[in-house]
Amino acid sequence: MVTGSAPTQPEPPQLQDAGLLLDLVEQLGRAPRHALVKVALRSGDAESQARTIESWCARSGNEMVTLEPGVATIRRGPRLDPFADLDPSQLPGTRLWMYTNFDCNLACDYCCVRSSPRTPRAALGADRVRQLAQEAAAAGVSELILTGGEPFLLPDVDDLVAACTTELPTTLLTNAMLFHGRRLEALRRMDRERLTLQISLDSPSPEIHDTHRGSGSWDRAVAGIRTARQEGFQVKVAATLPYEQTHHVEPFHTFLDTLDIPRSHRVIRALARRGVADHGLELTVETLIPEVTVTATGVYWHPVAAEHNDQLVTRDIFPLADAITLVRDRFSAYRSDAVAAAQWFPCA
Amino acid sequence: MTAPLLIGAVAYTPNVVLIWEGMREYFADTDAPMDFILFSNYGRQVDALLAGNIDIAWNTNLAWVRTVGQSAGECRALAMRDTDTVFQTVMVARAGTGMTGLESLRGKTLALGSQDSAQAAILPVHFLHEAGLGDDAVTLVRINSDVGKHGDTGRSELDALRAVIDGEADAAALGINTWESIGREELMPGAFESFWASPHYSHCNFTALPTLEPDRVDPWVDALFAMDWENPRHREVLEMEGLRRWVPPVLPGYDSLFAAVQAQGLSMRW
Repeated sequence: MVTGSAPTQPEPPQLQDAGLLLDLVEQLGRAPRHALVKVALRSGDAESQARTIESWCARSGNEMVTLEPGVATIRRGPRLDPFADLDPSQLPGTRLWMYTNFDCNLACDYCCVRSSPRTPRAALGADRVRQLAQEAAAAGVSELILTGGEPFLLPDVDDLVAACTTELPTTLLTNAMLFHGRRLEALRRMDRERLTLQISLDSPSPEIHDTHRGSGSWDRAVAGIRTARQEGFQVKVAATLPYEQTHHVEPFHTFLDTLDIPRSHRVIRALARRGVADHGLELTVETLIPEVTVTATGVYWHPVAAEHNDQLVTRDIFPLADAITLVRDRFSAYRSDAVAAAQWFPCA
Repeated sequence: MTAPLLIGAVAYTPNVVLIWEGMREYFADTDAPMDFILFSNYGRQVDALLAGNIDIAWNTNLAWVRTVGQSAGECRALAMRDTDTVFQTVMVARAGTGMTGLESLRGKTLALGSQDSAQAAILPVHFLHEAGLGDDAVTLVRINSDVGKHGDTGRSELDALRAVIDGEADAAALGINTWESIGREELMPGAFESFWASPHYSHCNFTALPTLEPDRVDPWVDALFAMDWENPRHREVLEMEGLRRWVPPVLPGYDSLFAAVQAQGLSMRW
């Protein structure tokens, strides 16, 4: 010490870390907001220094991004909110998709989950759908979406839908080609106030639609749309188009006007390179805003890639809240990585 | 259309650009649009204010004192941050030294920050003198890391703490903001401890000359006071600038610095 007595003992670890703390304050203090700063660790107890960094970051609103031997990378705060620029409806966990089954009366050539009459059913089952609906409501989900395969192949489709509409507004995706006999009766038992039917139709005339979905499928889909409207259901129409065609859709809209489908109830989506489709948009967990999707085998990042291992989040469907949290945390991490990557590659 | 008010600020950190772009964006939606000019040091900013090249200077307390000195008192403080009304200097030593109060520094070495830092150099000397600790009672180690910035970067205070760690000083004088930035005693118990804190004094303020027309400056000040912590867009700027709300100036809070500058014979120019 300056007062005259030379130090006779090694510096306590607290002072070793104190020097690191001063480095943190100084280097982060002069960094622009959200900049990544590499701070060299000192010789000594690395674990203690890591704890110091974490504690300081938590207190100061900065974020330790990585900790490698000898160096910590810290992002100058405040912490980026990965959800800040999302529409509220896009927030992960706002909607919950459930694949009720994977078998289908059609074998569309772009199906993202390879559904067909020969695909194994892999049904979620009424009990799990009921539990998922209940846990979804408790977890703050605001909308349930049921899809397949073709849900109307299931003998208990009305029970599944009722389990959902009891809890939350529900959308049921269907090709609408099976609204006859007992299936029509099942449809009639569904809650018209809480259920929206989303029916697939890819073109204003049969040619394009039938090319992808099978001869005669367009006529039957349009008939199904009319039946659903006559039965008093809210109907959305969803079209899957090659990306290059997604901006040439006015004739399609004109046709849907004749079916009395409001503009707000029309979904035009680009073909994804998934499932049996060998071309289309490349979609990965890094590029997709997640929509929590549950199948009989697990929780997936997005309905477009259900049953695809690269988008599997967890095999544990329950508790659903934990799965939703896991999706949100991973999304937050991907967003942070994207910001970091943007900083590593300046354009000049 | 009234010309925008020109506000001068010192670029002590890259985030100053974000702060003032945010301020400009805010004021663009009010009746008092503004623009800003950045300076590398407070001396040049004060010169610019007195020359009429800027309308308002975002001044430190020392810059305010020098503006008063060079204008013979013909200037006014318009507003300050809430945090500027309760500024303090703290004396910090290694934990366990048993220092209690300023008298503990007698015969010891005190590390001070940059010579133009009110909180880390000018006022600590003032407080020592008020406590009866003259220049030969305490050895002063001056660390002039960021002269010109009036201590805004905090760098000289961190260097003063490093001097304490390295055994080159028994204690360091810090601004309360720097003490907070390292987490006080809580973040690393057993490393540092504060053994004295000064009375509150005033720090930064927006300074203008009386030649600035009221019909230009009054709407600007009103809009400034209307910035709302609860508004997310305002909060972003307020957080970066280190306040929750803008408040009227507390002029008695500068008395100690005026006294210190006079007693220490410090120049009214930079």
